[in-house]
Amino acid sequence: MILEITNLKKIYGGKTVVDIPSLNIGEGETIGLVGNNGAGKTTLFRMMLDLIRPDSGEVLSRGINVSSNDQWKNYTASYLDEGFLIDYLTAEEYFIFIGGLHNFSVAHVTDYLKQYEEFFNGEILNKGKYIRDFSKGNQNKIGIAAGLMQNPDLMVLDEPFANLDPTTQIRLKAMVKSLKTDRNMATLISSHDLNHVTDVCDRIILLERGLVIKDFMKDENTLKELEEYFSE
Amino acid sequence: MLLTFLDHQWKAFWRSKNKGGTIAAQIFMGFMVLYLLSIAIFLGFMLAELIPKFLPGRDIMLVFNGLILYYFALDFIMRMQLQDLPTLSILPYLHLNIPRKKIVGFLNVRALFTAFNLFPLILFLPFCSTTVVHVYGSLTGIMYGLSVIGLCIFNNYFVLFIKRLTTNNVFLIFAVMAVVAAVALMDYLKLFAISAVSNAVFLFIARKNPFAALAFPVLATVAFLVNAHYLRSRLYTEELSSGEEKKASTDYPFLDRFGETGTLIALELKLIFRHKRPRSAIIMSLVFIFYGFLFYKRDLLDNDSFGMMIFAATFMTGSVISIYGQFMFGWQGSHFDGLLVNKTNLRNFIKAKFLMFTLFATFITLIVSLYGFLSWKTLAVQFAAYLYNIGFGTVVILYFATRNYKAIDLSKSSGFNYQGVGASQFVLLLPYFLIPYLFYFPFAIAGLPYWGLASIGAAGLIGLVTRSYWVEFILKEFNKRKYRIAAGFRELS
Repeated sequence: MILEITNLKKIYGGKTVVDIPSLNIGEGETIGLVGNNGAGKTTLFRMMLDLIRPDSGEVLSRGINVSSNDQWKNYTASYLDEGFLIDYLTAEEYFIFIGGLHNFSVAHVTDYLKQYEEFFNGEILNKGKYIRDFSKGNQNKIGIAAGLMQNPDLMVLDEPFANLDPTTQIRLKAMVKSLKTDRNMATLISSHDLNHVTDVCDRIILLERGLVIKDFMKDENTLKELEEYFSE
Repeated sequence: MLLTFLDHQWKAFWRSKNKGGTIAAQIFMGFMVLYLLSIAIFLGFMLAELIPKFLPGRDIMLVFNGLILYYFALDFIMRMQLQDLPTLSILPYLHLNIPRKKIVGFLNVRALFTAFNLFPLILFLPFCSTTVVHVYGSLTGIMYGLSVIGLCIFNNYFVLFIKRLTTNNVFLIFAVMAVVAAVALMDYLKLFAISAVSNAVFLFIARKNPFAALAFPVLATVAFLVNAHYLRSRLYTEELSSGEEKKASTDYPFLDRFGETGTLIALELKLIFRHKRPRSAIIMSLVFIFYGFLFYKRDLLDNDSFGMMIFAATFMTGSVISIYGQFMFGWQGSHFDGLLVNKTNLRNFIKAKFLMFTLFATFITLIVSLYGFLSWKTLAVQFAAYLYNIGFGTVVILYFATRNYKAIDLSKSSGFNYQGVGASQFVLLLPYFLIPYLFYFPFAIAGLPYWGLASIGAAGLIGLVTRSYWVEFILKEFNKRKYRIAAGFRELS
């Protein structure tokens, strides 16, 4: 199991934001997390990434508690929001910095970025801009590419489709699918766009007010089911 | 129109997002200003009586004349450090039907509203209107008044002009500092006395030709016009198209030998050089190297009484540590989550802070070693202070850094900017500056000042040798509170 969650709880001001008795995520699974605003998606992600301390329970990554040891960082990459980017660096500097943390040489990083030329659509590299001066969509691309560059076994993405242009949305979906088959990468994606989620994921988890309401494998009726659920 | 702008600024201030946390700091500042103002008023009206009391037998007018330019020279240095460039977010106005002249005009008028312009008036005008009028007649009195107002406005716009130039060219600040240092040194060594020049100028005005005083208002007007012209020509490039110029990627090969620690330092150096507020914090700490001229007094040096000098030396050699370090890790608040989630080794993260402080302190210590020309004793004091700073002070600062939950908004300038200031900043400076005295005073009282210095240095040296222990200690403290730090930083960004 790449992630095991047991009795995970987070309470803010007397209100339970996340309450998950048990949830397991296997290697190579692509999971979509859906739910309205305030369902606890981002809080859950932050606890998985050891950014927030749970009030009770634990998150185990390959059997080790994420808050006890940094081991999980070797194979986990994530992009939740712009707070993950160092926005006063140029895109190249940022990639080199992130690569350096995994002992990639500059040449290695440059080489790696070549395969993302299509994904970047000529808008990221050699622009002579700091990351803070890029549009939100392009910042998203930088964050996602920097994550994938680390060759993770688990990738955590919060609303990756939100600011992307249609072309890039399609390319991102294709990338996630191919990384699953080629490298058995597990992916956790939260999204408000039911179409994308049902397209790319093979398991859907529906959160509401911190509780897991549904957890099921995708089939041809999934999109309809979800639409019905949310239109109620 | 001007009033509308002022109204908008007023609203922007009161409705700003992070106002709540800083209101205490604002009130504190308000009291400080009131206190200083009342002192100024008291001094202003009592000057005629105070001068004979403190300097008996000296001619009042001579003392006063000598004081004027001296005051404005100090005023200049203070303004360089503390006065803010007036800013109005002009983007929302540029596309509207408002002439650019008005926008520039507003920025210029707004610049006059600073306490720096109030103090000299309160301090000097009462004396000009009483004693000067009494001694030299009312025409001269008026001319004195005009000179003071002129000098005040001249300083105001001249400093703003230099600051505007330095936002485009950081190295200019070093040229300005070199000039200031040269003048200060010559004044200290009595090669050239500002007070003598001041005296000569104002005696000329008083005795020969009162109208010569008009030169000051003329100078002020020139400064104003140059400033306004510069501003008008830069209204596009400065504010709007700063993103247009090509940003290059940079490397610091020198830091590569430190491995990941070096990479993290390079990251922080880029943070400093690419943002206004940390950059001005560093420049401000460099300006403090002139403190020596104030504190290294000849008689103190001769008597081996190092008490005040230790403060100055600690402050100078560790200025970056205390001024930049007090907000740590808030500088990195906007991307703190990214640092935690990535494969950054937190031990190296802490080590990088230690090493960066050491590098900065070493650099500044080398510069202030020039005080050695005044007396070799300054070198002893500074070396002790340097060892204290890198061995002991850094630990104090980083310990408090693990208790700082406020992120810094990097885009703002640093003078009188109290965003991100919390209780920890006020608390941490006390132990930082008091600890050296714990080592010094027992020996000083026993009549062994040099042993006192040696014990400060030894304390620092011990801290330096046992640094790996302190890295672990800070790391432990950091891990205890990292969730709270990250949560605090997230609130702002």
